[in-house]
Amino acid sequence: MNEGRVIASNVEKVYRSERTPTTAIEDLSFEVGDGEFFSVVGPSGCGKSTLLYLIAGFLDVTSGMITVNDHAVEGPGTDRGVVFQDYALFPWKTVMGNVTYGLAENGVPKDERRETAQHFIDTMGLDGFEDTYPKELSGGMKQRVGLARTLAYDPKILLMDEPFGALDQPLREALQDNLLDIWRELGKTVVFITHDVEEAVYLSERVLIMTRHPGTRKQVIDIDLDRTQDREAIITSEEFTETKNEVWRSLREETKHTV
Amino acid sequence: MDVTNIARISRHDVVEGAKSIYSLILLIALWELITQAGLIHYYFLPPLSDVLIEGYELTVSGEMIQASLLTLKRAFLGLLIATVLGVPIGILIARNRFVGWFFDPIITIGYPVPIISLIPVFMLWFGIGDVSKIILVGVGTFWPIAINARNSARAVNQNLIWSARMMGTPKRNLVWKVVVPDAAPGVLTGIQIALPLSLIITFVFEMVAGGGGLGHLEIQGVRSFTSTQTYATLIAIMLIGFVLDGTLRKIRRRLLRWA
Ligand SMILES: Nc1ncnc2c1ncn2[C@@H]1O[C@H](COP(=O)(O)OP(=O)(O)OP(=O)(O)O)[C@@H](O)[C@H]1O
Ligand SMILES: [Mg+2]
Repeated sequence: MNEGRVIASNVEKVYRSERTPTTAIEDLSFEVGDGEFFSVVGPSGCGKSTLLYLIAGFLDVTSGMITVNDHAVEGPGTDRGVVFQDYALFPWKTVMGNVTYGLAENGVPKDERRETAQHFIDTMGLDGFEDTYPKELSGGMKQRVGLARTLAYDPKILLMDEPFGALDQPLREALQDNLLDIWRELGKTVVFITHDVEEAVYLSERVLIMTRHPGTRKQVIDIDLDRTQDREAIITSEEFTETKNEVWRSLREETKHTV
Repeated sequence: MDVTNIARISRHDVVEGAKSIYSLILLIALWELITQAGLIHYYFLPPLSDVLIEGYELTVSGEMIQASLLTLKRAFLGLLIATVLGVPIGILIARNRFVGWFFDPIITIGYPVPIISLIPVFMLWFGIGDVSKIILVGVGTFWPIAINARNSARAVNQNLIWSARMMGTPKRNLVWKVVVPDAAPGVLTGIQIALPLSLIITFVFEMVAGGGGLGHLEIQGVRSFTSTQTYATLIAIMLIGFVLDGTLRKIRRRLLRWA
């Protein structure tokens, strides 16, 4: 059974690399259900990226525990896929090479690899760019390659670190809706980090608001929107505005101290 | 180059080509003019035309070609040894603490040593033959190659390594799959820096210790009062440096299309 449940219990992360240790995350607990779209917002430097890397298994927790399907995280695994804010594509590989990489590493035969990769390249509207190198792509295209390569090897859990932060409004909206379609269709669990309150509310079922540095859980807000409607109807609805204001106020309490 | 291309060279191309090297044409004309007018003693600077005639004679007699091959062999074999040792060692220094602890002080001490000052020591130890020269070239070009390999392997983007890990690349394959390709541009830069150095070391060793080669041929001209030979050799050296540098650039462009 391939489920995508994430549980963080009393997670603490201290960076010790520098002369003075930095506590990035302190006593943070939350649960993300299988197939849930879960967003994390918080002031800059509160430990959002750190949290994502802990779930991904790139970093180790200092104390507490993170479990994925009741197994403690002990390093990276193909059940989780990260979409990085800076794309992190292999510059020496073409779009096709980047998207097939994960499949090749997991022993998928060559023609099957290409077929699967092509499917996600098409889904992301990247057809025609299969043989292009990342340096020749725009930011939005790179981010779509990043998403395509992660979807291609089919991780149950998507971990996304401000993936659309650098894109302009129309492109961001298009990719958000694209992501929602994929999420519904493929039933992935998504942990989505953003600093954009509207984005968090529009996309997710629940939002975790973190306190300022060192980050801990401030509040988790349920978002109850009628998802059968289109973007315009959702965004202009009263529920949406209310929830957005609630998240904004909560976040604002944390940020106003710092400025 | 294919013939149709040559045929299509337009007047515009000729004008543009002349523009890009007009300073050289001017200098050459000046050289010929001043020397033909007898403004400089023949021994110090013979006219270019005499130098070219000498160069032609040395070429048809086989002397120039033999000297060039000898010099190229020494420089190339030395460079090859330095590359084969320097690239893996440089990368290992960056990736393995223990190798780093061992080699970092050696590089710190070894790199600034003016390699030419070791020629007498090498003559003591290894004599004045090919082996001595090749080893000195190897030692001298090892530093820039190893240092560039080390620095570029150290600068490998952490997110690329994490990307590979999440897609299933085991730790032991990271060097091949991520570090080497990401460091490749820097590694090639090191080799490009080492190339002229390998020629310099060979020339100087040949001038000091003899044993044939372009350096020997050049200084022989001074010693036998045939300065045309010195200048003809000098021009050959410049041409060789120019062609080799251009070849490396071409290889770089072909290999690193993505960069
Ligand atoms: N490698 C590291 N070594 C030491 N401290 C670090 C390291 N990475 C992050 N930190 C510190 O940990 C804290 C959290 O950093 P993190 O990058 O997780 O924040 P963030 O919420 O993602 O910020 P942003 O919204 O600006 O991306 C910060 O105070 C940061 O300075
Ligand atoms: Mg961050």
